[in-house]
Amino acid sequence: MQPDLPLSIQYVWLIPLYGFSGMFLSLPWAAGWFKRQGPRPAAYLNLIMTLLGVIHGSLVLQQILQIGAQHLQFDWFGVGDMNLQIGFELSLTNLAALEFVTAMSLLGQVFALGYLDKEWSLARFYALVGFFEGAMAGVVLSSNLFFSFFLLEMLTLSTYLLVGFWYAQPLVVTAARDAFLTKRVGDVLLLMGMVALSAWAGSLEFNDLYEWSATATASGALSPLAGSLIGLGLIAGPMGKCAQFPMHLWLDEAMEGPNPASILRNSAVVTCGALVLLKVMPLLRFSPLAVNVLLVVGTISAIGGALVAIAQVDLKRAFSYGTSSYLGLVFIAIALQQPAVALLLLFAHGLAKALIFMGVGSVICTTNCQDLTELGGLGARMPATTSAFLVAGAGLTGLFPLGCFWCFGLLVQALLPSHPFLAAVVLSTNLLTAFNLVRVYRQVFLDTPHPKTRRAPEVGWLMALPMVSLSVMVLLLPLVFQRLNPVPGLAAINTSSVALVVASGALGVMAGSLVRLDRFWSRSVLKPLRAVQDLLAYDFYTDKLYRATIVRLVAGFADLTNRFDQEVVTGLANRLGGLSMQGAQGLKLAVSGQMQTYVLTAVLAIVLLLASLVWSMG
Amino acid sequence: MPIIPSELVSFAEVPSALDLKAKLLANQTLLAESETHVIEVVDVLKSYGEVLDAYSKNLIYQAESQFLVPFPLFKYLNGDKSLAKIWRHLCHDRINFEYAEYCMKAMLWHGTGGMDAYFDSDAFIENIAAIIEVKRRDPLLGLLHPLFPQFLPELIRTAATTHALGQFWRVMSDLFIDLADAEADKRVCSISDVVDFMKAGLVAAAGNPISYGVVIDNKHFWVLPPEAGLTFLADVAVPYVEAVFLRGTPFLGTVSFNAQAQQISPDQAQFCYGALYADPLPTMGAGIPPSLLMQDMYRHLPKRLDLLYQNRTRGEGDVRVKICRSFQKSMFCVTNAAIAGTFPHGLAGTTADQLAADEAYAHAWAQRLSQGRTDCLAV
Amino acid sequence: MMLSILLLIPFLGALLFLLLPSQLAPTRMRSIAIVVLVLQLLWSIRLLFAFDLELPGMQLQESFSWVERLGLRYELGIDGLSLPLVLLNAALTLVAAVCTRELSERPRLYFALILLISFAVNGAFVANNLLFFLIFYELELIPLWLLILIWGGTQRVYAATKFLLFTAISGVLILAAFLGLAFINGSVDFSLSPLVTERIGMGSQLILLGCLLVGFGIKIPLVPFHSWLPDAHTQASTPVSVLLAGVLLKLGTYGLLRFGLGMFPDAWAVLAPAMAIWAAISVLYGSLAAIAQRDMKRMVAFSSVGHMGYVLLAAAAATPVALMGAVFQMVSHGLISALLFLLVGVVYRKTGTRDLEVLRGLLNPELGLPFTGTLMILGVMASAGLPGMAGFISEFLVFRGSIQIYPLATLLSMVGSGLTAVYFLLLINRAFFGRLAITPVEDPEIQKRLDVQLAPVAPRETIPALALAIAVIALGLIPAGLGGISDAATGAMAQLFSGAG
Repeated sequence: MQPDLPLSIQYVWLIPLYGFSGMFLSLPWAAGWFKRQGPRPAAYLNLIMTLLGVIHGSLVLQQILQIGAQHLQFDWFGVGDMNLQIGFELSLTNLAALEFVTAMSLLGQVFALGYLDKEWSLARFYALVGFFEGAMAGVVLSSNLFFSFFLLEMLTLSTYLLVGFWYAQPLVVTAARDAFLTKRVGDVLLLMGMVALSAWAGSLEFNDLYEWSATATASGALSPLAGSLIGLGLIAGPMGKCAQFPMHLWLDEAMEGPNPASILRNSAVVTCGALVLLKVMPLLRFSPLAVNVLLVVGTISAIGGALVAIAQVDLKRAFSYGTSSYLGLVFIAIALQQPAVALLLLFAHGLAKALIFMGVGSVICTTNCQDLTELGGLGARMPATTSAFLVAGAGLTGLFPLGCFWCFGLLVQALLPSHPFLAAVVLSTNLLTAFNLVRVYRQVFLDTPHPKTRRAPEVGWLMALPMVSLSVMVLLLPLVFQRLNPVPGLAAINTSSVALVVASGALGVMAGSLVRLDRFWSRSVLKPLRAVQDLLAYDFYTDKLYRATIVRLVAGFADLTNRFDQEVVTGLANRLGGLSMQGAQGLKLAVSGQMQTYVLTAVLAIVLLLASLVWSMG
Repeated sequence: MPIIPSELVSFAEVPSALDLKAKLLANQTLLAESETHVIEVVDVLKSYGEVLDAYSKNLIYQAESQFLVPFPLFKYLNGDKSLAKIWRHLCHDRINFEYAEYCMKAMLWHGTGGMDAYFDSDAFIENIAAIIEVKRRDPLLGLLHPLFPQFLPELIRTAATTHALGQFWRVMSDLFIDLADAEADKRVCSISDVVDFMKAGLVAAAGNPISYGVVIDNKHFWVLPPEAGLTFLADVAVPYVEAVFLRGTPFLGTVSFNAQAQQISPDQAQFCYGALYADPLPTMGAGIPPSLLMQDMYRHLPKRLDLLYQNRTRGEGDVRVKICRSFQKSMFCVTNAAIAGTFPHGLAGTTADQLAADEAYAHAWAQRLSQGRTDCLAV
Repeated sequence: MMLSILLLIPFLGALLFLLLPSQLAPTRMRSIAIVVLVLQLLWSIRLLFAFDLELPGMQLQESFSWVERLGLRYELGIDGLSLPLVLLNAALTLVAAVCTRELSERPRLYFALILLISFAVNGAFVANNLLFFLIFYELELIPLWLLILIWGGTQRVYAATKFLLFTAISGVLILAAFLGLAFINGSVDFSLSPLVTERIGMGSQLILLGCLLVGFGIKIPLVPFHSWLPDAHTQASTPVSVLLAGVLLKLGTYGLLRFGLGMFPDAWAVLAPAMAIWAAISVLYGSLAAIAQRDMKRMVAFSSVGHMGYVLLAAAAATPVALMGAVFQMVSHGLISALLFLLVGVVYRKTGTRDLEVLRGLLNPELGLPFTGTLMILGVMASAGLPGMAGFISEFLVFRGSIQIYPLATLLSMVGSGLTAVYFLLLINRAFFGRLAITPVEDPEIQKRLDVQLAPVAPRETIPALALAIAVIALGLIPAGLGGISDAATGAMAQLFSGAG
């Protein structure tokens, strides 16, 4: 570490610790040590720590803008030829992501103060959010794969605990389990890739790995098969984190968790996962297979997610599938070496998605309902929520000149010449998303008030304020884009791309406004159409598919092993020892008798045995 | 393998709807008579009375002094912005007024009774039009109101409900504390005395008028004018019982809101999440809003009840669950009193028609209550 | 004399108990045992300061002639491999004594036996002579057998006998190997050195190593010799389970590393590939069997079978990183499994059952066992190898050290690590999430009205578990401490092996 660096950079390692210390500060309240006082101080302390993180992050960002990117690392643990380090890469990208993550966390926490105002386990919630935030801040800054993995796993754990926050609710129980296990599958595969890389490449610093991978295949240090396998392992972790097909199921179920956590999960966490993929991407040059898998997975997730979203009746799930869909586009962009566009799309999507989930939260809080068919007519009553939804919708679709519009424009322009099919994927995702947003908007905000939305006052300021601030941020995002240096000029997008994006968005909006809502939900009388409806509404029956395949396989093997263990292994042992077992019956009597003498006899017997054996040898 | 010590698990008998109906018609108490029951009910209601006193004061303060304030940062301080109070507030060393708001929101949302009907009347719209006219001078509201025409009316309805609930709890708080005094003077010695005492109190307050006005720029405006003719029992107490005791709102900690899981009925009238239905076991767990009330009552627990609890089960460890159980019993007593006070013919009918009407009334209540946590009534 | 004192403390402690009046209150006896064990722990820590981290070989050696004709010498020594285990033993025996509660039967004998085990285990770890080691190895068997037999559950006779049979066979096999060594060498040199085996032909070496492998494999235990472990655990009381899983299993892996790898490096290289596969089978078998268990204790026991397999994998690979991983895995498995057994013990004591089909919602804050549940989540996450806790760094080292040598076995073991998350998550979700209940689900209508009254968990009951949890996190966040102790020894051992292989 260079001593001449500004203090804020030298102490950059504090940034992840703010979140973690928020967790530790919350513990006294979470553990219920204060019997008479409530849990709110824990929330305030966490907010302060997050604010510190935001401020520190901004300071570092300013310094980096002046002195250029920096790299810091600290030794953690070394054995033999292996040296594990904690490294921070203070690049503009990483710091922008840090600002995004901490700001989302701050807004989410303020929102939670309103959303969870009648929650007695508030301290536990904030402790978990602090843990969550610390891990995310570390992941985005990390400069090596080991440290990234370390924190990604912590994210997995905190996702489990946050989804499981309402642990007494039956569906939460399965949701938390599935969230953990799905992500864990990705993590274990990533661990395999990482362990292999560590062994063959030596260092786990991303920069060293980039250098190594440039020569590895050429020099024969890595066989093509090993390269492909490592590549697949490396992308599996981000796939799980970003809820990509086929590991997308958990995000749907994770919607059972508290909404403020959903805000973070759909914006910040998936962004962390994608950032790790971005950092891993230059390594994948030894694995063309992994790149192709990324493209396929991204395409399926983008289109599949958007289609499934349309068929959802649940307010939260209608948008959580959209997250898989957009991250699918990010995966495509990353796989096609468009990191800048991928980043812009991540931020544009993250901000808008967080905003939409805040709107969803305020609808749920006011109406105690997240069933689209039971909602309606909120538009005239809830100004902050309605405008948040509109702004977020505009920010997500490529129709209005907000964040995603420019991203789609850039992406289509980049893809159109070489990969027209993928450009079509982007455009159809845009179309389907616009359709989905419009139909949900009509259902929830227009329409006539339903019984559950008849009395719907706007939410309090603790929820409205973050919503309005985030709306402003989404509106201002294009200006930020323009100021970012490495991005190709937004003005440079050609008119044909713009026209395509606008046309697809407009088509979606039109279709969404024309579709008949009352009929839309009733199951069609036409059998094929009904089958398609159900297929989409139940997410292509993915959960059933899993249950029929992998769950059954593992359960079957477990059962088989257990039966083998009981009948063959134990049975054999018992039969071999059968004679002695009968002796055991005799021992039973001895137990009740003179224990001390018995011990003595046993010890003596062993000593005698030993002695006689040795004697015969000598 | 399981060998579960039987003393760890217990299951109380659930009385049938017929039993309940018979008790109601015979003017017997639903809650079994016993000495500990009297202590539990009276003392828990005493602490509830003290908590309601604080709730009521705050709700009335909010409705009157924080009317349409966009950032009501200090809405729980009742106007006392001393440093010491703010510090205590920050340390969360305070009554959880959030629970009062929760009950208010449940009442507003379920929207039953005369006040809710009045909210949709032309008279109400006219009243608040005058208020909105004044408030529109604020530039932000001036911008928002034309765009979102129902925004301000909805907030004013909220404020009106807040005030009405404050008035209701004022009466209940006094009644519960009077009950404790009466028990201390030996005027009340049994559960049936308790029910009678409350019935008398409710009947006495039944006709109290409910009204609400706000002062803006030194001008007084009626939101719920006296001429609307809203009264205590029919327009606030009954909707309150409906919204909080019976229907309630699903707890995030026990019920999934997932639309596809269809755990929540689309018809609010079918809701069974209220105080008489709620499971006391997960009290103080995550996603159980009444935990806030239990905590508040815990802070105001009378000595005698505290001693009783200390010697039971886990002592201090599960005291708030025990409060919840006692509270449920006392709420059955209150409901019991309310039913007894609202029989169409007061169980004193002479003609067959009158008897049938009373019986039908008892039948309807017994049906509803039998789904509730009536297992707490016997023990 | 430092090591002799280490042995004397528990030994004299055990003698002291035999002299105590038998009518002394059990709580008083427990306090005396705790004092003795605290002394032992302090002395073990004292050893740490006397220990030179830079030296790879045996330190603080003591050597006296004892029965020279038999080659039995009183030889003690400690190195970076045994020191962490001595510390683990001291810590966990103390934990076992502290978590002993409600002891009504023969408290005097009970504590004497606990101290005797601690003495024997310490002796085995610091013995520097094959026969001397074997005496301690056998000595630990009897007290443990009695602890299961007298203070065990309803099936204790079966479990205790099974334990005795298996471990006796284990002892006999090891003895046979040692005697065979002397026989082939034609001398009674039982000193601990690869030189002893240098002149032996490969065939004989393989047979001897095979005997050791099976002998220690029973103790570790490796599939298919594990059958005694789940039974012993389910029948043993909590403190005994803590000792059994935390310390005694480590005798097997320690013996394998010290005597197998340390003395037969050439034969080791031949058998290692088979051992790696064996390790992977053990890992997968233990994990899969654990998924199917409904008794929490059996589940943790099978997880031990799986997790001890990692040590064998690391031993087979025998690279510096892998051997460091082996040490880490021994220590972290000791801490984590002790923690899990403690917590299962608390659940059992409060609810009277460990059945996962029956327990639900124990996280309930007022009526359940919320603190126990929180520590349990931490424990299972540590066991599943979540970073920030001891399990992760241990597994990472093992895998990182082994993957280049045995890629397939390592990858399979990693799958086992993933399966750990499966069964432990099932445990948490079933027993700790949901509405509180300790009855089988029959009628949901009745179920939701059932009232459950569990005795409260006093803070002092969870203090040992809390201490272990803190140790698990500390080891996970600052592994360099333990790494420093063992680095020289594991490095030297790996070098010995690579020189041979």
